Amino acid sequence: MANKAGPQRPNGTAQAKICQFKLVLLGESAVGKSSLVLRFVKGQFHEYQESTIGAAFLTQTVCLDDTTVKFEIWDTAGQERYHSLAPMYYRGAQAAIVVYDVTNQDTFGRAKTWVKELQRQASPNIVIALAGNKADLANKRCVEYEEAQAYAEENGLLFMETSAKTGTNVNEIFLAIAKKLPKSETIGGSGSGQGRRLVESDTTAKTSTSCCK
Amino acid sequence: MGSVDLLSLVQSGFTGETVLACLEVSKMQGWVRTTRYLAIISKSGSSAFFVLTSTRVPPISPADVSVEGIVPIDSNFKFELDTETQHEDGHDLYLSVSSNKSKLLFEMMPSSKSNAFVGELYKAVDNVVRKSGPLEYNWLNRYPPVIRHDCSDNGLKEEVQDSVVDSPDSLSLPRESIAKGSTPIAARESVIRYMMSKKEDQYMYKQSFRIFVGTWNVNGQSPTADLTEWLSCDVDPPDIYAIGFQELDLSTEAFLFNDTPRENEWYKAVVSGLHNGAKYTRVKLVRLVGMMLVVFVQEKLRQYVTGVACDTVGTGIMGKMGNKGGVGVRLDFHSTSICFVNAHLAAHVEEYERRNQDYRDIYSRMCFSSHHPPKTIKDHDHIYWLGDLNYRITEIDPKYVKDCVERDSFQKVLEYDQLIKQCRAQTVFVGFKEGSITFKPTYKYDTGTDNWDSSEKNRAPAWCDRILWKGESIEQIEYRSHPFLKISDHKPVSSLFDAKVRIIDAVKYRKIHEEVMKKLDKLENEFLPQVTVETTEITFDTVQFLVPQSKNLIIANTGQVPVKFEFIKKLDDPYYCKDWLNIEPYLGDVIPGEKCEVKVEVRVDKKSAYKLNSGQDQLYDILVLHLEGGKDIFITVSGNYERSCFGTSLETLASIKEPIREISLGSIIDKEKKKDSFSSGEGTYAVPKEVWFLVDHLYRHGTKAKHLFVQPGLHSEIYDIRDWLDNGSQESLPGSVYSVAEALLLLFESCPEPVIPYEMHTACLNCASNFMQCKQIIQGLTYHRKNVFIYLCSFLRELLSHSDDNGLDTKTLAALFGGIFMRDKPVPRDVSKPRSSQQQLDRKKSIFIYHFLVNDYPDLLPPLVSS
Ligand SMILES: Nc1nc2c(ncn2[C@@H]2O[C@H](COP(=O)(O)OP(=O)(O)OP(=O)(O)O)[C@@H](O)[C@H]2O)c(=O)[nH]1
Ligand SMILES: [Mg+2]
Repeated sequence: MANKAGPQRPNGTAQAKICQFKLVLLGESAVGKSSLVLRFVKGQFHEYQESTIGAAFLTQTVCLDDTTVKFEIWDTAGQERYHSLAPMYYRGAQAAIVVYDVTNQDTFGRAKTWVKELQRQASPNIVIALAGNKADLANKRCVEYEEAQAYAEENGLLFMETSAKTGTNVNEIFLAIAKKLPKSETIGGSGSGQGRRLVESDTTAKTSTSCCK
Repeated sequence: MGSVDLLSLVQSGFTGETVLACLEVSKMQGWVRTTRYLAIISKSGSSAFFVLTSTRVPPISPADVSVEGIVPIDSNFKFELDTETQHEDGHDLYLSVSSNKSKLLFEMMPSSKSNAFVGELYKAVDNVVRKSGPLEYNWLNRYPPVIRHDCSDNGLKEEVQDSVVDSPDSLSLPRESIAKGSTPIAARESVIRYMMSKKEDQYMYKQSFRIFVGTWNVNGQSPTADLTEWLSCDVDPPDIYAIGFQELDLSTEAFLFNDTPRENEWYKAVVSGLHNGAKYTRVKLVRLVGMMLVVFVQEKLRQYVTGVACDTVGTGIMGKMGNKGGVGVRLDFHSTSICFVNAHLAAHVEEYERRNQDYRDIYSRMCFSSHHPPKTIKDHDHIYWLGDLNYRITEIDPKYVKDCVERDSFQKVLEYDQLIKQCRAQTVFVGFKEGSITFKPTYKYDTGTDNWDSSEKNRAPAWCDRILWKGESIEQIEYRSHPFLKISDHKPVSSLFDAKVRIIDAVKYRKIHEEVMKKLDKLENEFLPQVTVETTEITFDTVQFLVPQSKNLIIANTGQVPVKFEFIKKLDDPYYCKDWLNIEPYLGDVIPGEKCEVKVEVRVDKKSAYKLNSGQDQLYDILVLHLEGGKDIFITVSGNYERSCFGTSLETLASIKEPIREISLGSIIDKEKKKDSFSSGEGTYAVPKEVWFLVDHLYRHGTKAKHLFVQPGLHSEIYDIRDWLDNGSQESLPGSVYSVAEALLLLFESCPEPVIPYEMHTACLNCASNFMQCKQIIQGLTYHRKNVFIYLCSFLRELLSHSDDNGLDTKTLAALFGGIFMRDKPVPRDVSKPRSSQQQLDRKKSIFIYHFLVNDYPDLLPPLVSS
């Protein structure tokens, strides 16, 4: 019996490891957080997307040159009354996408307060991306690209204008985050403090999975 | 647990059948692995493949084990062993078993046990092929059909798409573990590897490379000759060189200290002897005493060489010294692992057993430990073994040998070659190949000549210097000696190979890798727990003090996996809901298609009323319904709380002249904020009118009532009394005196603070035995509290004066009111205090009150009821 060795990777680079990251989406209601996730994960778009009441959870993997990044995505409820629950989801998150609607100036203001809150309360090395969504509605634009760009630069945020409807920049923004995330410390997701604990096998003890721990 | 134990354990669970083999494996479903035990069990000439589960891992009694599935080993039975996908860590060997529509996939640890198991499986299948008549499988009927993966229609059919990992089978267990959110990332990685290897031909191709392997025992000589003769005798430059030397240095110095100037001399000679048709770069040089191996690769190919490592094994004196043994270099070239071993095996004509043993020692002991887990020689796709293996020509007249080889008729002589004989007997170099020898023996010559050794020993010349290989897609182009090089008593030998190496098309690889990931993501998202709740808003209209109300919330599992739900704490809250809320059950399991009804109950009691009355809290809470391993749903619970004198501070009550519901919530909140400023009593009642109403009623109608305060009232009457107090009425106070008495106790209990404030309790308890000091404490109470205390105590003394009628005694009342006036701080839900210390406290409290029920205290101001 011939022993075939080696995982077959290009040039033998060890690409076997998957890095797992918790990513949270924040932003005012109806800016299109759920739509962005739906586009990214399933490639779909719904004109009538129900408002999120809770925190939706999905996973999606992004393949980079040298690593594979698995996102655990928490899509939060944007309605103001649920604001106080947001820390449950951004605590322990390694990445956040703060979304606003380019056709609505208020949502941009709200996005800025989210960024401030994250800078104050979230883990200090969280990677934050700012997404100006609904970029397809060019004729209704209220927030100028340059304004948001300048703000993002000042605050060290990744920035892209996106459209969940057309798909523009949706994969790109997740990819940009994946690239910016530090890979070494979180290989295998250990010690990342996220809710879903990673175990070697399903025979290990029942895990506590509430996301607020 | 050894396999023997497992086998006998399983056997003892199967009386009447024979368990041929047994093995612990992991069953792969989706990316979930679960431990299983496989058994090949036979009876009446036929056999079947059993999948067993155990409640314990490993099982320690036959009772732990139960049968999960059976596949009869009949003509439909097929199995496939996937060694292609064995991983770097050497852990994963896949066995896929199929029969008709069912297909199972197992992962096993490559070991002698798994080899033995697979061996039995081969035998069992072979048995089916060779049996002419139909085999008898009726003995399997005693197992329930549901666990049989057979061809009958009532058998469990597993859906099979293009691959098993694409379709988690219909047993619910793995889904459950996915739903638990414990998706093991390591398992996911191995599934990815497995799926990738299944698609290998879509991104992998093979390309041929030329490899030059050379060996020379240089007998301790210096390189005084030009080596191009040996190393560059071919037209095309090879891609890789592996050049081995033996007896590089025979000095004691080299032997003892493994240090020799020869290393550099020969290395330089080799470098200048390399083919000048290409540029080479050194990959690795390794030396142990006189054995040296150096590997070169064409410069332009260096980037495809990774994981370079080397090791040495001494098998010489005492079985470990470096005068004999082997040195090895391993590397990955593109995606093929290659190992070169240069060996110098035991000398002496008759010692072939020693040589066999040396080979085995090198083979097992050589270990490239910079890899995790460490790699041994056998873990390589391609192995090249070169060296002075020292096997001789024996059992034949040396003269005859010389004659034959002189005439270039080697065949006859090679019949007597120890290595060829030993290989045939499979005692050494099992699985290795050697090309046919068409060159003269390479040993032993008189140095500097082509003449056979002329010393008196008269030994037969021999092919001591050999090159063997193992692995697929290796073709030998040349196998020859280089007699023109005469500086040693050996001639150098070389071999050229065309070796096909696996190369990954990086672009295609990435594309397929991404596809595989997408597939797994889809699967994983599909198997996330999903529920629907009919509403996320639970609204109660009017909620009154003490009156419970409830609504049901239906949680329906609309997903594909069992759901574990739980109402979880928000952030740093101590509890998953506010204290006026209760959820029953607050956690549970729902299987797909089923529902669970959860009762959401609001009840504002003495603990929660004050916060609601004072505006510190509202009847509003957001519950977080968490699905284990999945999303959260927010459920908002709200209602209108009807404010009440219950749960209002004594100060505020004393300052309100009208019924509480006649004044606005705002002004109550206002009063509660300023309540400390009423403590002078100015513009307020001496005691809250509610207290007065209740006490006065009891004074007039209840002093003779049997066991007043001890006997409980009725809920409905207490609600009526509450309404009467809150709204005001011309009618007389409703309800029995017992209900009135209970309402009075409740009024005190629902105050934000007991009559004697918390911070004074310790002082009270410390001086409980001293009436003087007790009086001083009461004297120090604020205006309303002192009044209420004295007013109540006076009333209790009045009651005690009728003890013949009402049957009350001082101790009972003292204990009861001790607990009211000095009520303990509320403890959080789910926390219980130790009972013994509580009893101590309660006793002291009642002693404190007791004084005021048996003594006069004219020195304390009598209560004033201003109007
Ligand atoms: N034209 C356009 N419409 C969009 C885009 N993204 C989302 N929408 C629409 O905007 C509405 C709100 O989108 P959602 O994805 O539900 O917004 P949300 O941020 O998740 O809202 P909450 O869940 O309430 O926080 C939906 O009707 C979407 O169809 C976009 O890129 N272009
Ligand atoms: Mg949403």
